[in-house]
Amino acid sequence: MNPLLQQVYDFVDERIDLKTLEAKMMKEPIKGGSRWAYVFGSVLLFIFIMQAVTGVLLMFYYIPSADHAYDSTQFIIHEVDYGWFILSYHFWGSSAMVVMVFAHMSQVFLWGAYKSPREIIWLVGLALFGIVMAFGFTGYLLPWDQRAYWATVVGVEIMDKTPLVGDFMARFLKGGPTPGQMTLSRFFVIHVMVLPGALMGLAGLHLFLFRSAGPAGPFRGSPEELKAKTDFFFPRQVWKDIVAMAAVFLTISALAIFEPVVLLEQAKPDPGDYAPEPEWYFLFLFQLLRWKLFAGEFGQFLGATAIPAAFMLLLAALPFFDRSPERNIFKRPIALLSWTAVMTAILVLTVSAIINRDFLH
Amino acid sequence: MASLQPKIKSKVRCVDGEIGEIVHVIADPISLEVSHIVVCANGTQRQVPVSAIGAVRDDAVELTGKSAQVAAFPEFQREDFLTSKEVEIPHLENKVHVEPGDLLVPFPPLEKSCARRNFFAGFIHVIGALIALPFVWPVLRFIMKPMYVPYDNRWIPIGNIGKIKTDDVGVQFIFTKSFKDMVIERREDKNHWVIKASPDMLKKIYPHGDLAFTDAKGDVVWVNKQTVPYVAFAGKCPHLGCGFKWRSHKTLGPVFLCPCHLSIYDASGQVLDGPAPRPLDVLPIKVAPDGEIQVIDVEYKAGKKDQVRIA
Repeated sequence: MNPLLQQVYDFVDERIDLKTLEAKMMKEPIKGGSRWAYVFGSVLLFIFIMQAVTGVLLMFYYIPSADHAYDSTQFIIHEVDYGWFILSYHFWGSSAMVVMVFAHMSQVFLWGAYKSPREIIWLVGLALFGIVMAFGFTGYLLPWDQRAYWATVVGVEIMDKTPLVGDFMARFLKGGPTPGQMTLSRFFVIHVMVLPGALMGLAGLHLFLFRSAGPAGPFRGSPEELKAKTDFFFPRQVWKDIVAMAAVFLTISALAIFEPVVLLEQAKPDPGDYAPEPEWYFLFLFQLLRWKLFAGEFGQFLGATAIPAAFMLLLAALPFFDRSPERNIFKRPIALLSWTAVMTAILVLTVSAIINRDFLH
Repeated sequence: MASLQPKIKSKVRCVDGEIGEIVHVIADPISLEVSHIVVCANGTQRQVPVSAIGAVRDDAVELTGKSAQVAAFPEFQREDFLTSKEVEIPHLENKVHVEPGDLLVPFPPLEKSCARRNFFAGFIHVIGALIALPFVWPVLRFIMKPMYVPYDNRWIPIGNIGKIKTDDVGVQFIFTKSFKDMVIERREDKNHWVIKASPDMLKKIYPHGDLAFTDAKGDVVWVNKQTVPYVAFAGKCPHLGCGFKWRSHKTLGPVFLCPCHLSIYDASGQVLDGPAPRPLDVLPIKVAPDGEIQVIDVEYKAGKKDQVRIA
């Protein structure tokens, strides 16, 4: 190290014990060595930071009022230098976040990494999954165009069907019996204050717990083999992480450049020719609610509340009933089948929602 | 001088010979230096201050006094000490290394015999609750302010019946509603559907005769006469609140169709297909002699079998 730099380092180290910090942050041994499969968590952190940066920038111009939200968003897109890019990056970043959350959860599931002693990390992860979906839902309204407005109207009506608390929750979110200024204000505050705070806190806890329990490592290999391949988090894993981050950054940027956000008409309680639908990652749920099975009051409760809630509860309970220490996915046929079934169902429902879309126009 | 780093189990010698071995090392939490070594001599553990150490050699620690003097040092009381892992003393473990085993630090006397520990623990919670609880109700009321506003029973003009040319055909009326949204005066485009119903249709729309509308207290604000052929349907789909349209369906003919979840209603608002739980909602309607239509913009909760008024 350069002598001056060394002096600065020593100065700081003497006061706050940099060496211990360095050891904790960077010198964590990774059983079985660094892998590309481990990049998803870091990539999610990166996407979140970029969402925070672009989100703060958007707030420089965005006005959260029913009369100005649409115009100020159009101003960002058409008038502010690179506004179209910042906004489109933020838009595509949210999709990337959802894709990465699914990838991260799938990796943890397939690797059996949710099993003892990492149950609590898994639970906090599920809460983070909920927060990411809530981010998508609340952010979608803010441009206040027809797409935004109608996705929210339907989304909140779905929430309204939750037994006992549904009516209160829907009124709480709408800030009244019907959507309006209060709805926008509430979604705005939740999107820019409440959820970021919750995400930072829980993501910090997630990481802290992860470091306390240690990484699970590969699901194959004898202890000797794992030891032989072990390396530290820095530099090989950090290198893989940064390469993945760069790839994600380039992908989001390319999407923002080639598919920039274009708003529909300003929101109004008359959908006109627009056929309302939610963001693509909610399409499977949307399509589910079109089925006859989920018609009527009870059916709707089943489709919109009971099944998603039961699925989340099942995921939460997973590490507590799946107690076999076997982590190799090829020796866990039920787990592999369930994962394939869920992914296929989501894919099929999403695709049929897209096919139905063409049928409507 | 770098702090002394005596090793546990190393021999301890006085000027007149070996007396035992080191069993513990004690550090001072303020100076972060070793303050004592604990020597086990003849089965008794004694706390020897570092000032009594002459030299630390590879094979042994040499004390400056005679073996008889060691007996004068106080006996070691394990319960007066904690290991450095049980407490948070920054930098201590970087400065003093003890191996093999734990480094000890004094157990602060105030902590050791904290007679009112339970009292403190209890009152910390009580005071926390005293700060938080008075906030619960005000915060709840603060957030709930706009959530339960009274119904709006104003009559709103939406257009003229001259627009309707054929019986039993849905006609969209787009109108502008002015209202106060908290502090903002806003105007919003809304839409409802009006049909001129044939007698058969009217029977399906009003199966129980005249239709009364009530306010929050249950008082009747308006009655739709079953003989009036003009019927207004709220533009909000009773399934999940989307906006439906009048469309021609390939097998069902002309129908109201909601593009969101594909609910289909006939001209009388009855559900023909799709997930909708109830027919379209009929609004209070008044038609003036000049054909001007006025409605009360009643809104019902979507997704319920029965109508639950929310606005």
